[in-house]
Amino acid sequence: MRPELWRRLLPAWPVALLAAAAAVAPWLPGNPYRTDLGAVFTAPSAAHWMGTDGLGRDVASRLAHGARVSLTVGFATAAGAILVGLPLGAVAGYRGGFWDAAVSRVIEAALCFPALLVAVAILIDPPAWLRALPDPLRVAAALAALGWTPAARYLRAEFLRLRGSEAVLSARAAGAGTLRIVALHLLPRSLGPVLVSAAFGASAAALAEAALSFVGVGVSPPTPTWGAMLLEAMRQSGRAWWLALFPGLALFATVYGLNGLAEGIRDWLDPRPQHR
Amino acid sequence: MSRVGRIARRLGTYGITLAIVTLIVFLLTAAFPGDPLEDEADHRLPPEYRHALRAQLHLDDPVGVRFARWVTDLAHGDLGVSSRERRPVATILRERLPVSIALNGTAVALIILLAAPLGIAGAWKPGSRWDRIARFGTTALYAVPVFWTALLLQGLFAVRLAWLPLFGTSSAVGISAWSRAADLARHLVLPVTCVALGGLAYVSRFVRTALLDATGGDGGRAIRARGATALRYVTHHGLGQAAVPLLTLAGFLIPRVVSGSLLVEEIFNLPGIGTLMFDSVMARDVPVIAALTLVTGIVTLGAVAAADLLAAWADPRVRRAA
Repeated sequence: MRPELWRRLLPAWPVALLAAAAAVAPWLPGNPYRTDLGAVFTAPSAAHWMGTDGLGRDVASRLAHGARVSLTVGFATAAGAILVGLPLGAVAGYRGGFWDAAVSRVIEAALCFPALLVAVAILIDPPAWLRALPDPLRVAAALAALGWTPAARYLRAEFLRLRGSEAVLSARAAGAGTLRIVALHLLPRSLGPVLVSAAFGASAAALAEAALSFVGVGVSPPTPTWGAMLLEAMRQSGRAWWLALFPGLALFATVYGLNGLAEGIRDWLDPRPQHR
Repeated sequence: MSRVGRIARRLGTYGITLAIVTLIVFLLTAAFPGDPLEDEADHRLPPEYRHALRAQLHLDDPVGVRFARWVTDLAHGDLGVSSRERRPVATILRERLPVSIALNGTAVALIILLAAPLGIAGAWKPGSRWDRIARFGTTALYAVPVFWTALLLQGLFAVRLAWLPLFGTSSAVGISAWSRAADLARHLVLPVTCVALGGLAYVSRFVRTALLDATGGDGGRAIRARGATALRYVTHHGLGQAAVPLLTLAGFLIPRVVSGSLLVEEIFNLPGIGTLMFDSVMARDVPVIAALTLVTGIVTLGAVAAADLLAAWADPRVRRAA
């Protein structure tokens, strides 16, 4: 028997935990910006659960604030990817023919670019309208620039499969217009795979955000991000293990949890035998 | 449709995609704000010299003209001149490619050597204890950022144990060619491990899913009912059908590897195309950026097209249609 949905969503608990930490971060006792030159590189203790960094800032509090950036970028990228990918995939799958060929070629072309490098290029010198956005949303937009392809591909495949189905045929026979068929009959049935791709996309975006901060083009300092914290850990080359351990673990938990969430939804939607 | 016609049609499709890739690369670079002569140092140049330089670099021509000139030059094998180094891009690429090919080639070979058995083992008995362990391991591996692995490996093997060099490609000058090669190999151990660990999780899971999709249906059940052993079932029946998605994956792996090698080359300070790309983006060296993205795109598309044609050739339905 297939387990219920809530069981499938259990692997996402680290994300829920980090999201809670992110939500309450401004009201937590620590201050992620306060430097204390009398207490630099102190190992984890009762006062600083995860130690302090090279400026004496509290790592635990920076970690909680970093969760805000990572999760915002992750979910905003997934939302942006759906915003771009949904209409393109819908047109390709529903209209077929020329539209399908055109969208498919563009998707193929987009897959040929190294996504991280394109994001770096966009963020080095962003256009004016991007510059106006807050940092995390700007990073998300740069990542969504190429991140929309899975959503478009999955929706296209679903629409292609469903557009000849009896449900759609009978709706059309009853006089439903294109918009009504797409909105009421096709979209609700196709959202599963899109949701799965969004969860995978959010995890990839969280990783990419850390990579961008790590090479110094992501969210600008002194805003704490996990990538920037790892960059500082590298500059200390292993002298303070807690600097590398905790942000790395947080990132790991986020990606692991989001992927678990995606797989949970996928397995729950998939009527085929399990263990896939 | 004849087989030749079918193949020609497919090639035509990839031609269109290539044209779109070229156009996107050009538009991206044309949209890049600023140009190489906007530095403060350039503003201190005499105006007439600056204008001559702008004309020489064709900075003020209309977009259409620049695109036409760019494509014509590309067709002649001319990738342009780096605005940062004032040297031909092709020369720079020739200097940078060997390190990246050594790094990524070794890593991809390792990935295939390790991912194939891992994926096959998983697809052999899905849901078995071994499969669950392998799935947990690869999911966990996938979630570890490559720069974290790099930090960990550097800290352990280069700093604590001092077995391997921390970064760079050589630690001595004036040594014989043989020991130079050995030295380079020692420098590449940690970077190769980082790139390989990143790709391993992704590829082995993909192998497993592709094999399961290929052997999961009624056909698979029929083969099993006929008494084929598990191993034969996977290797003789599964791999043949899974070959197409696997070959396509190999093609689309290239841009991922380039992205991943950017980070690894930065961390280990290797003079490859990843660091070249990063430095070029930072310095707004548009000719190099355009050449690198285009070369990545063409190589990717070439690999995908080759996979597609092989698939068309391997598929009996297509072969019989000839």
